[in-house]
Amino acid sequence: MNKVIDVKKLTKEYKNLKAVDNLSFEVYEGEILGLLGPNGSGKSTTINCILSLLNFSKGSIKIFGSEMTPDSYELKKEIGVVFQDVALFEELTVYDNIDYFCGLYINDKKVRKLYIEDAIKLVGLEDFKTFYPKQLSGGLLRRLNIACGIAHKPKLIFLDEPTVAVDPQSRNNILDGIKILREQGATIIYTTHYMEEVEILCDRVIILDKGRIIASGTCDELKALSDIEEKISLEINKLDDKHLEEINKFKTVDVATYSNNTLLITYKKGKNNLLELMEYLKKERIKYNNIFVERPTLNDVFLSLTGKELRD
Amino acid sequence: MIVFKTFLKVLKSCKTPIIMYTVFLVVFGGLNMQTSDTATSFESTKPDILIINNDEDKGITKNLIDYIKDNSNIIDIKDTEEAINDALFYRDVNYIIYIPDNYREDFLNNKNPKIEIKSTGDYNASLAHMMLEKYVKVANTYNAKLDNEEEIISNINKTLSVKTEIELTSNLDTNNLARATFYYNFMNYSLLAGLVYVICLILSSFNEIKVKKRTIISSMKTSTHNKNLLLSNGLFAIILWIFYVVLGFILLGDIMFTTHGIIYIINSFIFMICSLTIAFLIATLVNNKNAINGIVNVVALGTSFLCGAFVPMEWLPSSVINIAHVLPSYWYIKTNELLKTIEVFNFETLKPIFINMIVILLFTILFIVITNIVSKKKRKIN
Repeated sequence: MNKVIDVKKLTKEYKNLKAVDNLSFEVYEGEILGLLGPNGSGKSTTINCILSLLNFSKGSIKIFGSEMTPDSYELKKEIGVVFQDVALFEELTVYDNIDYFCGLYINDKKVRKLYIEDAIKLVGLEDFKTFYPKQLSGGLLRRLNIACGIAHKPKLIFLDEPTVAVDPQSRNNILDGIKILREQGATIIYTTHYMEEVEILCDRVIILDKGRIIASGTCDELKALSDIEEKISLEINKLDDKHLEEINKFKTVDVATYSNNTLLITYKKGKNNLLELMEYLKKERIKYNNIFVERPTLNDVFLSLTGKELRD
Repeated sequence: MIVFKTFLKVLKSCKTPIIMYTVFLVVFGGLNMQTSDTATSFESTKPDILIINNDEDKGITKNLIDYIKDNSNIIDIKDTEEAINDALFYRDVNYIIYIPDNYREDFLNNKNPKIEIKSTGDYNASLAHMMLEKYVKVANTYNAKLDNEEEIISNINKTLSVKTEIELTSNLDTNNLARATFYYNFMNYSLLAGLVYVICLILSSFNEIKVKKRTIISSMKTSTHNKNLLLSNGLFAIILWIFYVVLGFILLGDIMFTTHGIIYIINSFIFMICSLTIAFLIATLVNNKNAINGIVNVVALGTSFLCGAFVPMEWLPSSVINIAHVLPSYWYIKTNELLKTIEVFNFETLKPIFINMIVILLFTILFIVITNIVSKKKRKIN
């Protein structure tokens, strides 16, 4: 697969602070790469450096094989960016906003018209073309923000937390739109706080912390890095300390805790954990209500790698 | 092209204030133009005089009455003290002459009889007083040298009939020039307010940090984008100026086709360029759309009041005029006021106008330099 982005030893320093520290990674054609990390981990700084919105101290950035500089206008033609903050003209309608931002790339009026219609359709704003931004809900504004960023049909798209504070309907619409963009051949860099979105969308994930890559790979590869294999939680009205002690002594159990009528057991490895647990509960005549079985999340991966929550 | 197209679309949202400033220009300019009609035009007047003659109506007395009658409006009022006082109070009469009993005889006998008068004390009363004094002085002069009454009267009449021929050499259309001056002075407000409001609002939309970020990462060269935006603003300023000038032609008529008219237009053009740079400077300093209205009021209204756009400069206190010197509006209005008084255009009369225009252009350069410094500093911070 062709490399679309090639970042080598990227370092960005602010006086004594290293916002990005010796970062190297590649993005391949047609993939969706998730950039995951808590606030201040260097996600936005990395994207701003790639887009030449920020000067960087060391390293190199190549997009489509060419070095990216503020004057790389030919390269910029192929790039679309959707920033976390909604960037629109309050005085323009939905259609005119998309027209302006698309017009910064596409001069041909007829082509632009087709592209705008496609973008409106992609984000489902057909019924709001003549609306002004102040007449739109938060979710619709985000959709418009996306339409403005991708209307010129870029080959490389940066999506920075596009679903923050969005209603479920708009969120689904946005995620469906991103899938369509990928199907159309776009390469996407996706940053988000929502790990479930990363798991649904991303082919590969890079986890950042303090400006460094702490892990990268597919979701399954990352989860394999976690100490936890499985999590089981049960609603139990009463559980003796003796029983909790015995459960903690199971071979594959990492730790078992009981609080608020919930027994939470995390397992290091192993299979048939649920069967073993249920047999024990039956034998000890312990009554339980609901059982939840969870696979480890990317947050668990982050937790085991850094000792802190991803959303801290 | 997309930048210009978007500029026009954003401009559409500013149509209300533009219409408002234009209406101000027409309505307030128009109203003041009507009042200026009477203020600048000249009308010759005769004082209203009441003569109460207690002497016989013959000889030197009759001659005095005839002279007064020829040079004033004689008012007939009931000969009671109350009616006379009322007439004076209500300005029905400006001057009352009481010719005493035996005036003729006393005069011829060189007894210097005293003529009593009553006056409103205004300009017309002074005119009447001067008329009476003139007659009495001439009559006394001839009376001192001649003995014959008829001869005295004949000489008095001969002397008083000599009139200086006055030829009006000035062709200055003061009335229309005053109207044009007021219109162009008021343009200081409309042009400045219109340009500052619209340009600040439009540039704050284009320069909004998030929108600007999107523009920077686009494939349109930043220089091309800025050039297009600059040209769009410049074009808007020129169109607004042309609109106000055309409106001036409609409202002021023929005076605009004279040399005066051309200089009014050139002066306003230079001021328009300066206003454009003021608008750019303010737009660079202020990104908050909510603050624009307040800024327009301070800049356009403030300078208009300080520099004499709404009230004549001569009415302003010297301290205000001193402050106004540091504002381009002052030099713009000063030229308009000067134009009102210039009849012949030559280097000497045009020199102060050129100096005023150069001062405005220096202000323009200063604003451009400050705008560049501020925007460079802002770019560094961002």
